[in-house]
Amino acid sequence: MANSMKSTEQLIVEKHTASLHQGFHLWPELKNGKLPALGDHRWTADLILSTWVQAETGKPPSNGLEHRVGNSGGGFDVLDFKFLPEDRRLSNDVAVDLSIPLNRRPYDRQIEIPIPFYGAGMSFGSISEQVMCARAKAAQAWKTFTCTGEGGYPDSLLAYKDHVITQVATGMFGVREETIQRAPIVEFKYAQGAKPGLGGHLLGDKVTSSVASMRESLPWVSLFSPFPFHSVYSVEDHKKHVDWIKTINPEALISVKVSTPTDIDMVAVGSYYAGAHIVYIDGSYGGTGAAPEIAKKTIAMPIEFAIPKVHRYLLQEGIRQEVVVMAGGGIRTAYDLAKAIALGADGVVLGTSELVALGCTRCSNCERGRGCPFGLTTTDPELSQLVEIDWGAERLGNLYRSFQWQLSDLLRSLGLTSIRDLVGRTDLLIYRGRAGAR
Amino acid sequence: MISPETIAKILASRKSLIPEGAGHLTPRKAEAEGGCAVIGIASSERIPGRHLFQALEQMRNRGNGKGGGIAAVGLVPEDLGVTREILENDYLLAIAYLETSARSEVERSCIEPTFEIHHAQALPSTNDSRILERLDVKPPEVFLYFGRVRPEAIEGFKQRNGLEAAVAPPTSPESIEDEIVYQNSYRLNRAFYASTGEKRAFVLSHGKNMLVLKMVGYGDDVIRYYQLENTRAHVWIGHHRYPTKGKVWHPGGAHPFVGLHEALVHNGDFANYASICEYLAQRNIYPLFLTDTEVSVLLFDLFHRTYAYPLEYVIESLAPTTERDFALLPEERQSIYQRLQTVHIHGSPDGPWFFLIAQSSPAQGEYRLIGITDTSMLRPQVFALQEGPVSVGFAASEKQAIDAALESLAREDPRFWLHADRYWNARGGSHTDGGAFIFTVHANGNGHAKLQCTDKFGRAVRSGAQQKPYDGRATAVRTDMALPDVPVDELFAWVKEQLSGWDYGNLLAFLKALERAADSGNDRKRALEAVTLLMDRRYPTGAMRRSSLLSLFDQSLGVIVESVRRSPSEAYVFVDNCSPVPSPSGQAQTVVLDARGFAAEGERSLARKIVWLYQRGFRDFMLAHVKGHRFIANGLGAGTQGVHIDVYGSSGDYLASGIDGAEVVVHGDAQDQLAQIMKDGTLVVYGSVGQTFLYAGKGGHAFVLGNAAGRPLINAVGRPRVIINGTCLDYLAESFMAGDPLDGGGFVVLNGIALSDQGEVVELDTPYPGGNLFSLASGGAIYIRDPHGKVSEEQLNGGQFSPLEEHDWAVIHPFLEENARLFGIPVAWLLEVDGKPSLPSQVYRKIHPRAIGALQPEEAWVKMHV
Repeated sequence: MANSMKSTEQLIVEKHTASLHQGFHLWPELKNGKLPALGDHRWTADLILSTWVQAETGKPPSNGLEHRVGNSGGGFDVLDFKFLPEDRRLSNDVAVDLSIPLNRRPYDRQIEIPIPFYGAGMSFGSISEQVMCARAKAAQAWKTFTCTGEGGYPDSLLAYKDHVITQVATGMFGVREETIQRAPIVEFKYAQGAKPGLGGHLLGDKVTSSVASMRESLPWVSLFSPFPFHSVYSVEDHKKHVDWIKTINPEALISVKVSTPTDIDMVAVGSYYAGAHIVYIDGSYGGTGAAPEIAKKTIAMPIEFAIPKVHRYLLQEGIRQEVVVMAGGGIRTAYDLAKAIALGADGVVLGTSELVALGCTRCSNCERGRGCPFGLTTTDPELSQLVEIDWGAERLGNLYRSFQWQLSDLLRSLGLTSIRDLVGRTDLLIYRGRAGAR
Repeated sequence: MISPETIAKILASRKSLIPEGAGHLTPRKAEAEGGCAVIGIASSERIPGRHLFQALEQMRNRGNGKGGGIAAVGLVPEDLGVTREILENDYLLAIAYLETSARSEVERSCIEPTFEIHHAQALPSTNDSRILERLDVKPPEVFLYFGRVRPEAIEGFKQRNGLEAAVAPPTSPESIEDEIVYQNSYRLNRAFYASTGEKRAFVLSHGKNMLVLKMVGYGDDVIRYYQLENTRAHVWIGHHRYPTKGKVWHPGGAHPFVGLHEALVHNGDFANYASICEYLAQRNIYPLFLTDTEVSVLLFDLFHRTYAYPLEYVIESLAPTTERDFALLPEERQSIYQRLQTVHIHGSPDGPWFFLIAQSSPAQGEYRLIGITDTSMLRPQVFALQEGPVSVGFAASEKQAIDAALESLAREDPRFWLHADRYWNARGGSHTDGGAFIFTVHANGNGHAKLQCTDKFGRAVRSGAQQKPYDGRATAVRTDMALPDVPVDELFAWVKEQLSGWDYGNLLAFLKALERAADSGNDRKRALEAVTLLMDRRYPTGAMRRSSLLSLFDQSLGVIVESVRRSPSEAYVFVDNCSPVPSPSGQAQTVVLDARGFAAEGERSLARKIVWLYQRGFRDFMLAHVKGHRFIANGLGAGTQGVHIDVYGSSGDYLASGIDGAEVVVHGDAQDQLAQIMKDGTLVVYGSVGQTFLYAGKGGHAFVLGNAAGRPLINAVGRPRVIINGTCLDYLAESFMAGDPLDGGGFVVLNGIALSDQGEVVELDTPYPGGNLFSLASGGAIYIRDPHGKVSEEQLNGGQFSPLEEHDWAVIHPFLEENARLFGIPVAWLLEVDGKPSLPSQVYRKIHPRAIGALQPEEAWVKMHV
């Protein structure tokens, strides 16, 4: 369309988008050095910039940008792998299987994904519909999943419905029988690592008319979902809750998303016995586009502690082989991903890293409606146009491809041909202590 | 007067139970308790254990088979092979032997030195392989020992602990004996169960005229395994456990746990187990079985036996009255409760919980069933009372379990009938009833006993039913009563007129006539509608008791359903769990679905069958004989206008959740989690509803004749339009977000009235008793019928009152008219105050959200630019 036909608004969006995309390309080239104010110890400037490179090229950076670890001084950042000496590693033509099952019980629908990760729930309201569709489109292309989060199931996701997990959270916003019936997997969100003990908290300025319409609430009024399911105050209530979903959609797999309190092990067992296929533990480093400042990142157990706790406990209980443990909350790189699996998870859930791939710089203004300069965690009608669905899907696909490549390489360097053989292999991890991982 | 010194001495005497000191003991639960099913029955006549079967079987979905147990109190001497003196005076020491070889050691070291045993026997158990096959873990062998503490042991204890001069309670001779028995059992448990090494034996119970049995299995299997089908008792409690940790299961972890003369079962999970353990440790009490339930009964025992508190104070110490309810207490009570709370609040359990206690006091000839609920009302509980030649009281996790027990009793004994006179919920920590109810059997020793129900404050709770119930023996039932040939509304009116002059015989004759008409096929519709109207409506019943009538109507309905089974017709298709299903004929057809035999949930459930039938084209359903079946009307999907479901019987949880256009009518009370996320359609309940009614509801219309329990309409959005004629426990419409009722949004009308058994409309004491009305709501409104201004500002939390205006009345009036049509509660009556007709604005008040100041500038800016 000729520029003269476009509205001022469209022109502004186009120009702004073009600048942003140019920035995403230029900054990682480091011609002007690293941006001094970019990043923090968890998501360092290097990690942010190298995620942009992966999202653009489908491969990790080759100019020295650190793309494996951050600088937090703990957790994944002080763990390394015991790679085999170069001559003993498997060669590049050895096939490596990165697939994981999402149901390890001998009954119910068997679903497998070819890569060991899927996208975390981010609600319509906390992020834009465009970002949701971009994520869904990438999930469809890669035969994995994304998740609706707590804000309802926009019609625009219907085209991708075989790859969309529907979330049933404590406020049950947008939950209807049809959103449960069309989903291959239903995820109960009991809690979220970034704000355990609190429910969702979507501030008023993100509750646009369309968000309110989806949730059937009032525009511009803050939405608080309760911290518990009011119908679930005891484990037999949870079982009843699972049975409820199964009555509506007997085929769906059930995932239970919990945060990481000290008795996370008992929670995992209880979920198993209530019929869950997936236990999804969400650690404290997760992000949130819908929480007040005071709650973010100050509570719950880091995921690096929670994973082995759950893994070992389920082994002890004799049920580990029937549970799929997914870990999320601060998984940044392919190396974090692999370390999470080595600690005992079956797979990983990606949240922030997907947004970084779409241009997020971790400025932490997510909860304000007109806060996200990249049009990601916003439902503002103008700002959300900064992300075009096909562009977003391509960026995410590239990131997945880069992860796929790195995971295969990593497994070969450990002498393994399947990601499933990495589960719980803490013997392949070294603790680097203060020195940090190399 | 109980002296603190003697209490201190008693508590000090327990130091010897942990000779090595308690430093190494860490208060950490062995298993997560989580969930459970509980049922309790108290009867003025001793009833056999088999009457718990149906109730416990129907609640198996609340447990996982890893623990179950029962307690029986007020037994029959002959059933245990002892004399009455022994049963009433001796301690009944029931020991579970996990290892047969432990017995001689236990007897030698723990029983003989302390007790003079008058009678001992092995408790028989079944050889039935069908039962044995089901059990993962072999249940323990149980021995019963009847005895008294040896005088030397009593003297020795008194001297060692400086209690020589003690005579008054808690140090009367009896209570010293009690304390010795407690300590002896503790030592036994410690030596043979709780210490490291093999678990060999433990004490099931040691109270007088009380027996506890438990194992790794379901509660009903405990009755079968130990052959208690014919064992009779005044009070029974039964339990299924749902523990979630541990691969190896032990019977010692199952409920009930015992204090001294009481057994306790529990549904819930404490958040402050460690704090309670600390509190008990300060009194030299150290739990051995490491579960919530054990510490609950240890607390009860401490307050009841050691501190000798009256029951009211025991309850207060466990469930302290706080906030608005505290403020509404009379001053003397406040002063005492304040002191109790100061001392005991750190020992008070925090978290969802509901206790059922079976208590024995043979010296007073009293046996009790006590139900205590937590002050946040987080667990479901239903109480019920039936008063007749035999009176029986119930408390349970689900109403359908109570109905199952009544059905079992009524089947064998015409002095019981299918419906209780009253069903109610408790509001935990309330100033009105204390959230606790007690059924006391006063047995005078010669076989005649009376049952009395009281609340925490000792106020009597009566069924209120004066008429004689139906005793199963009607005189001269005519078989030729002619029914007037009029439409059903007129027929119903005719019956109502006759009722004041009828006896049960006449009524049965009428019902028989209806059944005959239904049988012939021509008149089936009218017959069904007539019985339904009789069940649903309230009207004067003359000399007959309503609950008896309901039981007879139930039976009549059953006969009519049977006739449909035998001779289905064009209009009525019959389906049960084994019949082949015809295809829809394309004409208007009603599927009569016999719920018996369908599972309560899962693939083979009643709910999935309804979905299946709907997918095949059926639209009109009549569900009969529902017994706790869950998820009725769930799974039908979007756009179900035109679907109609009538529900008869005891429906289960989640009924009508997620419906999107269907019409569901419940002919009786309903349970918990009804209409969750309901989108559109109509729900009518001719009774009360339970917990979290319409949680996250999004639309549709709902009409409830009776009350709602805790948290109705919580987190509801969109446009639900609801009328609750009664009241709620508390937390009505918390976080309501349903827009503007005057502009297509949602609302709740709360009438605060009750429709009596005789059809009279009465105002309740207050339209809303709780302290959290419309909390944190940001949309929608409540229209509360409060002509006397009883509801105050302090009961709101983020809402505000405003007067009812014309446009409000225009919105709610049509719903009140529909309410009148459904339930017979005239709008004119609702608009009367003290007998005088008044304006709507003088009767109804509006509660709506207070504008959130902080967001207003933002809202204004956005509105400018959107």
